[in-house]
Amino acid sequence: MGALLRSLEGRRVAIVVGSGGVGKTSVSAAIALSRAMEGGRVLVCTIDPARRLATALGLDSLGNSEALVPPEAFARSGLAPRGQLHAMMLDVKRTWDDLVTRHAPDAATRDRILGNRIYQQVSGALAGSQEYMAMEKLYELSTERDYDLIVLDTPPTAHALDFLEAPDRILDFVGNETARKLFAPALGAGRFGARILQVGTGFVAKTLSRFTGSDVLSDVGDFLGQFQGMYDGFKERASAVRSLLTRPEVGFVLVASPSALSVDEALFFHDHLRTAGMPVAGTVANRVTRELWPYPEPVPGGVQLAEALGGSGQGDPELAARLASTLAQHETFAHADAREVERLRRGAPGPHAAVPRLEGDVHDLSGLAALARHL
Amino acid sequence: MSGSDLLDRRLVVVTGKGGVGKSTVSAALAVLAARRGKRVLVAEVDARERVAPMLGGRPTGPVVRPVLPGISTVNVDPRHALEEYALLVVKVRALYQAVFENRVVRFFLRAVPSLAETLMLGKILHEARSEDRGRPRWDLVVVDAPATGHALQLLGVPRALLDTVPGGPLRRDAEWMQALLSDPARTSVALVALPEEMPVTETAELDARLRDDLRLPRGPVFLNAMPEARFTVSDIARLRDLSGSPPPLGPAARAGLLQAEQRERADEQADRLRSLLGRPLLPLPLVASDRWGRRSVERIADAMDGAI
Ligand SMILES: Nc1ncnc2c1ncn2[C@@H]1O[C@H](COP(=O)(O)OP(=O)(O)OP(=O)(O)O)[C@@H](O)[C@H]1O
Ligand SMILES: Nc1ncnc2c1ncn2[C@@H]1O[C@H](COP(=O)(O)OP(=O)(O)OP(=O)(O)O)[C@@H](O)[C@H]1O
Ligand SMILES: [Mg+2]
Ligand SMILES: [Mg+2]
Repeated sequence: MGALLRSLEGRRVAIVVGSGGVGKTSVSAAIALSRAMEGGRVLVCTIDPARRLATALGLDSLGNSEALVPPEAFARSGLAPRGQLHAMMLDVKRTWDDLVTRHAPDAATRDRILGNRIYQQVSGALAGSQEYMAMEKLYELSTERDYDLIVLDTPPTAHALDFLEAPDRILDFVGNETARKLFAPALGAGRFGARILQVGTGFVAKTLSRFTGSDVLSDVGDFLGQFQGMYDGFKERASAVRSLLTRPEVGFVLVASPSALSVDEALFFHDHLRTAGMPVAGTVANRVTRELWPYPEPVPGGVQLAEALGGSGQGDPELAARLASTLAQHETFAHADAREVERLRRGAPGPHAAVPRLEGDVHDLSGLAALARHL
Repeated sequence: MSGSDLLDRRLVVVTGKGGVGKSTVSAALAVLAARRGKRVLVAEVDARERVAPMLGGRPTGPVVRPVLPGISTVNVDPRHALEEYALLVVKVRALYQAVFENRVVRFFLRAVPSLAETLMLGKILHEARSEDRGRPRWDLVVVDAPATGHALQLLGVPRALLDTVPGGPLRRDAEWMQALLSDPARTSVALVALPEEMPVTETAELDARLRDDLRLPRGPVFLNAMPEARFTVSDIARLRDLSGSPPPLGPAARAGLLQAEQRERADEQADRLRSLLGRPLLPLPLVASDRWGRRSVERIADAMDGAI
């Protein structure tokens, strides 16, 4: 077992983070698979998995709930797990809706919120919403279920900090007193424009309505008003999530591709986790091009390769030239990768795994098992 | 349409899945257009700025600045776009500050459906049609647009406004914006994909949305980072035999095999994308470089030349 998996051994929650497309979903599933192979009851909560991976995990039709990856699926890949692997796909909108449903005082309030345009924006397209709901789901799963390990995949965040800050930022707004005062005039029915003029803060709302139209403003007022009673519940929950994240049974896994941007992002996130007192389980450099020429001599040129080919009775200067440039190109990629992997290791000391670029995508259980061997 | 007259448009929007090479393609299009004597603006949309640094310059920020002869860049951000637009309406800076610099209001503005997108798109399209002493200020504006979902939101703004706003200045803005965006003589939306499963799937979906929902003029699809076809089937059989040899032959043969496999997988995905889209792709080469910068971008521009 590699350093990263060992570092996760004593933990109950693994949160896999990294910039877009680096392999978060693949690494999450591989971590979960390997713990299940060893006898654990494991859940992996994925976000937008590639189609074939979803199929391999039996996630074709399931929304926001957990499903056991069937033994036949393992058998097809020649794997015999000693434990159980469960998988699910996070449905952000559904998680929001469930949360509102749980906290709403009555059905009428719930329906008004669910139908509100501002709510739809906040729960759908607003930056940070996915991150917030990933956290929310994690909290629900970790308190209401008894898995040995929950692995949380995370959305491709443009700015890594969104992940940690989104819940507070969103809650700050929905529970904000000033906001309520600003937009309160829009509360209730009646002519919005007329009522605005009666309040001291009216000029703010009035100026804004020139940009957005008064309909939108009254939606905001309505949304904030409806939310008022639920705010405390939300807030309590968010702070519980935050304190969950600082417990030692949790471990963040930072995944990066061996590129400058991705490593910068991972290191930035690493520093913030440390500052926030959140435990880092380790780092993963994924899809690393392996060096093929680790020798002190320079990479061979066409002439040298043609000679070698000749030696085996197959001389072919033209093929030799193509091979020489292919090997040189390969080494250029490998060296650039090695430099970034090194930067990641130095910048974020601790358990580390370097996963080579595997042949073919990682789209089935055997692919995941192959990936896990490098963790 | 093929790519043949792409650079004669006034506005080229570049989008695709995250990380596929949108900024690279945008920068290369600008380089190519500048080589042809055009004055080009590349606009990034609220991004971790990439284009100016790729071209060897410093990050530009929200104010247009030249980076190379013929090429200027800007990173449009919603706050700055809001300020520009709000000051046009509010006129008094103190009033602007009292209202719009309020933290709560700022969050609220982000939660208003499409407000940020409206402001940013408005600013970019305004550049695309602005004139300087009777002459267009830019021959070409390249938009390095956000990734798929967000790009659709951005490009869908004028139509959404036309559907919801009955009259007034906002509607008039939406009208000219939509007219420019949907005019195939002036505008083209180019897509960037990688020859990998998820990017191919996402590109096909994006293309369909552009065609059916947004009904915008669709331009070329660049298939980026395509490995070269270097080895024939018989080469590959031979490399297999050689791969166990001692250095230098063994490592060279293994590099050849890896390259051939990579090309084969990329080909499968390229075929899949071609058949999903039902039109040709413009392949761009996989470029090996130690640092991704101006030289890499120039190589991509070289590869585009002739095709567009
Ligand atoms: N080590 C590897 N070797 C080869 N292919 C890999 C490897 N790791 C991941 N992949 C492939 O790369 C693609 C992206 O991986 P994945 O979906 O796990 O990334 P992600 O970080 O979750 O992406 P997103 O940010 O879009 O959610 C997938 O097609 C996957 O099969
Ligand atoms: N043709 C290519 N050959 C090799 N590498 C490439 C190629 N094109 C892009 N890359 C690599 O991919 C990286 C990402 O490219 P780029 O920044 O253009 O993508 P993007 O789609 O704009 O990403 P984002 O979605 O983050 O804005 C580059 O820094 C470079 O390392
Ligand atoms: Mg993913
Ligand atoms: Mg970009």
